[in-house]
Amino acid sequence: MNGVSEESQISAAEDLVNEIGTMEGVSAFVDKRTSGTQVRPIVNLTVPPENWRKVAESMFSDHGIDYCSMITGIHWPESSDKQWEVIYHFLRTGVKNPPIVDGVVEPIITDSSQLQGSDVPLEIQISIPLQETRNPKVASIQDIWVGADWNEKETWDLVGIDFEGHQGMRRVLQPHETPKGYHPLQKQHKLRYHNFEEMYDDVQGFKRKPADSEKVK
Amino acid sequence: MAEMWISMGPQHPMTHGLWTLKVKVDGETVVDTEPDLGYIHRGVEKICEARNFTQITTYCDRLCYASANTWSHAYIYAAEDLLGVEVPERAEYIRLVAVELQRIASHLMWLGAYGPDIGNLTVMVWCLREREMMMDLLQELGGSRMHYNFPRVGGVKRDLPHGFAMRARHKLRLFLDRIQEYEALFDESTIFLIRSQGVGYAKPEEMINHGVSGPNLRAGGVNHDIRTSHPYSVYSELDWAPAVERSSIKGADCYDRYRIRVEEMRQSANLVLQALDKMPGGAETYHEPGDPKILAKAPSRAPEGTSGSHHFEDSRGESMFYLAGGGEGRGKMPYRVSIRSPIFITIPYASKCMIGYKVADIPAIMGSFDPCIGETDR
Repeated sequence: MNGVSEESQISAAEDLVNEIGTMEGVSAFVDKRTSGTQVRPIVNLTVPPENWRKVAESMFSDHGIDYCSMITGIHWPESSDKQWEVIYHFLRTGVKNPPIVDGVVEPIITDSSQLQGSDVPLEIQISIPLQETRNPKVASIQDIWVGADWNEKETWDLVGIDFEGHQGMRRVLQPHETPKGYHPLQKQHKLRYHNFEEMYDDVQGFKRKPADSEKVK
Repeated sequence: MAEMWISMGPQHPMTHGLWTLKVKVDGETVVDTEPDLGYIHRGVEKICEARNFTQITTYCDRLCYASANTWSHAYIYAAEDLLGVEVPERAEYIRLVAVELQRIASHLMWLGAYGPDIGNLTVMVWCLREREMMMDLLQELGGSRMHYNFPRVGGVKRDLPHGFAMRARHKLRLFLDRIQEYEALFDESTIFLIRSQGVGYAKPEEMINHGVSGPNLRAGGVNHDIRTSHPYSVYSELDWAPAVERSSIKGADCYDRYRIRVEEMRQSANLVLQALDKMPGGAETYHEPGDPKILAKAPSRAPEGTSGSHHFEDSRGESMFYLAGGGEGRGKMPYRVSIRSPIFITIPYASKCMIGYKVADIPAIMGSFDPCIGETDR
């Protein structure tokens, strides 16, 4: 048996939930996710956008969450409780800087099942629901985790959620001359302009019209 | 001397794909860089919103042409989390075999491409010869040479064919011998050593903060491998430890990143050999496609409000999928698919790594990070 054990991950996740969950406006719980035959715990946080920056700084400096994995933006135009949602995935690698002996970097801990306490690798998922309809925005964390830099660029480029305080925002995946306000992962842009029934009634597609034909240049 | 911007790419041997690296030079020295991506952005995330969970596998295969199996498996684990499927153990072992064979093939492709980058042409032919053995094995599993479409939600498409275990053992033992030939070819080549040692230093603590992962990170002496730190599949049942390189005080250079990949190939071969021995039911038994021993029944709809995610150790780093359920057709399709590409996050860091080196070092540094533009642009 090698690798981090499930029990140590669960207890580390509960510790983190107890500490971060007391912050203002934050609701936290330990969620279970499956991976094949195994079950793994994940810390699930919901943070209001106005507190996000404070929570992020505390996560980085007090809880050793050192690795920003991914940022996802979701457009929920038909949802009742939110218009947009930003979802962050973090990892706690539990890695300290490698020791240096005689000018050579010694590889650190080869057995990650020995890690304990606040060094246990953890997964953290953070959801930030946004109520604002037109200009969704959330504080940038680019200066805390540089790895979030291009994630934020991509989220703005494709979903159109703005990150306040982000330096050097630009299009990364779409062409630089893409019209302002065009973000393809927003839900008004339909991928398929017809549903299954229409496909059979109008096989040639003469009657079909793109749903966003008036809205996009 | 006056500084000026030059553009390497979109067509340049350094890029290994289609992207532009804008380089600001002062004479021969690199002063600043700016990567520019998106030349082959296909909108996979959007396309997946109108496909059901089985169909998406096909698109994930095509994210990276050198490492198709790892990407479709990364997706499948997230989809199984979303749909709440428990996978039979035999299927997990078969997946491990498929993924680790793919990792060897991918690293061989990288090694083969990296040789010519820095003036060692012979190695290309040698690596592709061994890659061919891995491709043959993968073809036996998936049926095609490049895009296997092998995993299914709940298991795998097919069991190991008759005689697969024997052929795999034979080829992997041969391969383990031949790795020594590559090492001799690289480590005794003066040109290779001059061009890779002391070039493109990457500091471990900086890499973690920049989101660099996988072999590139472990080259810097950091023992962070998703397979052990966030265990999935049956990796924790096997006897192994991630390969971690001893780098110098300045961080990992191109030579360390070459070493780590050679070690990983060795390790993957050992993992496959172990998995074939330990497989429940034995590697020689065969089950028909759809047998509950290799494919569990899975629901086809994910209700609104559910989500699934999975971190996965890809050949190039940590890949990740996040799926939100409740899309079209009352949950038949995902509402949102989000993909983390390791190289998309690594390229900005790799471009910063080359500041201060000469223009001629750019191919050596960029190549050592193993860029794959298919997954970067999605």
